Amino acid sequence: MASIAFRNVTKRFGDTIAVNDVSFEIADNEFFCLFGPPLSGKTTILKLILGLERPDEGEVLIDGEPVNHVSPARRNVAMVFQNLALFPHMTAEENVRFPLVERKISPDEIAPRVADVVEKLHIGHILHKSPAQLSGGERQRVAIARALVRDPVAYLMDDPISALDARLREETRVELKRIQHELGRTLVYVTHDQEEAMSVADRIAVLENGVIRQIGAPSDIYDNPRSAYVAGMLGAPAMNLITLDPGRLSALDGALSLHAMTVPDGASQIGIRPEDLAVDHDVDGVRKPVQVYEVEPLGGVTVVTLQAGETSLRAMVRGQPKIEPSSQVALAVANGQACFFDSEGQAVTA
Amino acid sequence: MNRSLSFEIFRYAAILTIVALSLVPTLWMASMAFKPIAEWSATGADLTWWPKSPTLDNFRFLFGESSSDLIVALDRTAARPILASLLSAVFGTLIAMVAGTSAAYGLSRFGSGGNLPLALIQLRIFPPMAVMIPVMIMWAFLDLIDTWYGLALVYGIVTMPFAFWLMKTFFDDMPREIEDAALVEGCSRLRVFWKITLPMMRPALASSALFVFILNWSDYLIGLLLTTRDWVTIPVYMASLSSSMTGQLYGAKAALGLIAAIPPVVLGIAIQKHLVRGLTFGALKQ
Repeated sequence: MASIAFRNVTKRFGDTIAVNDVSFEIADNEFFCLFGPPLSGKTTILKLILGLERPDEGEVLIDGEPVNHVSPARRNVAMVFQNLALFPHMTAEENVRFPLVERKISPDEIAPRVADVVEKLHIGHILHKSPAQLSGGERQRVAIARALVRDPVAYLMDDPISALDARLREETRVELKRIQHELGRTLVYVTHDQEEAMSVADRIAVLENGVIRQIGAPSDIYDNPRSAYVAGMLGAPAMNLITLDPGRLSALDGALSLHAMTVPDGASQIGIRPEDLAVDHDVDGVRKPVQVYEVEPLGGVTVVTLQAGETSLRAMVRGQPKIEPSSQVALAVANGQACFFDSEGQAVTA
Repeated sequence: MNRSLSFEIFRYAAILTIVALSLVPTLWMASMAFKPIAEWSATGADLTWWPKSPTLDNFRFLFGESSSDLIVALDRTAARPILASLLSAVFGTLIAMVAGTSAAYGLSRFGSGGNLPLALIQLRIFPPMAVMIPVMIMWAFLDLIDTWYGLALVYGIVTMPFAFWLMKTFFDDMPREIEDAALVEGCSRLRVFWKITLPMMRPALASSALFVFILNWSDYLIGLLLTTRDWVTIPVYMASLSSSMTGQLYGAKAALGLIAAIPPVVLGIAIQKHLVRGLTFGALKQ
């Protein structure tokens, strides 16, 4: 049972502002994802929630209570660190027990709770080993077990699965989501991987240079990015950002016609997701053709890279279409799906 | 990639030469310690590598038994200086390690103290003579001259900067997240230090303590200035091993030198596994 809130929180390290006047509210039981490039302030926000850092301005609230002056030990928040931070001089089991022992829980109670979390994370066979003897995936699970073993009001995870290989990462991701549902606890999750953010979170906060650019459900942010920056952060391949032609009824020197769309006033850029960019290999003579630069068949979809003058574009086409590199194709916006941004990169709507 | 055989031979020959050059003086001392007076005082062609008739006379002599060949007898045995050296070096090392480690941790973690780290080195840059004479006068005033604890205190102060700098480097290298994790999991700052940091620092503590101990153990100048009779240390006592009749008692000196080499060697072997770093491996990703 815990909501977490930031009210105009600012944190500086010397001259750099790590977190700049940030306000947000994380609801109880929410899977909340902090997403942004390295050094955008994600980890600092976690440390502020934990109490490892104190805000220079503003207030951090847990369950509505200001906690600016509450020590980390008494905030009752659990954390999985980016580098895991297992205690190297203790066995896996001692690592997992540590939070309970330190909180003076009676041994009768410790045993069943350790057994429970050990079963949940399938680490029974490695409990006697020291962290140095464990593989990356095993260490990861021990670190997660150490965070899950007690009953905190919220769990924080700092990019905990980035060191795993792609397949293990996908499995652990699903597992984490399941565990979060089971526990019914608030989970604040930091990642720089857009796919991870999209797939696990109830809501995402997109960060840039210590400022939250947009907060919302993954699908909402994906479909309605509030700025070109946010649009570019989510989705792979990234959204195509194309400068509109003068007159704003076309783009790419007429190669992309926008006559069928309502272009809002003030728009200077159009953003089209790769899957919304239709590639037609019948050049009909009406539309100005563009050149295919490279074709990457990925099985279910094919990524086509196009070169239109100076602009490089990527389109995602279902299946494996017969498009050859260096051939000429015609472009269109599929289903009228596009976003518009002004010269500052802010979204504009009609 | 096979390097030629001649190169390998050359390489090992070079290594053996260097090892021999550095070990020969020690071997010479060891050999001399077991030679009777006629052999250790021999010159020219009579000088041999190994004792012809090995004897423990030199050791017996050090501990009070006058040997048959040696007309002189010692007015003090080596037992007391060995005790003096042990007490002052061990307690001096303890003082240096406790003070140095505490200071290093505070400065490494909280960055306070301003220029203190540099101020601590200047303690070492200052010529020891210039420091020790005033200390000698103060110690005389405080009745600390010729006491093992007076000596230990000075050893602790003098070697503390070494303990500090060594430990500070180790603390700086230790990943912060491990302490953060312990803080989050319910420890107070002090408890983190005891339960997490110090146990992780065991190898660092062991190697720093050995280094500081060797410094204290081999001191001559401070012992010479601050002790007079009851608590003279091994190096000071060794210098006095001579007589007007025989000159320098090289055999006895060699025997004492061999004894004096024991503590550092034993300690070094005891903490050898700690001297190998790598305990922190596995705590973090990669």
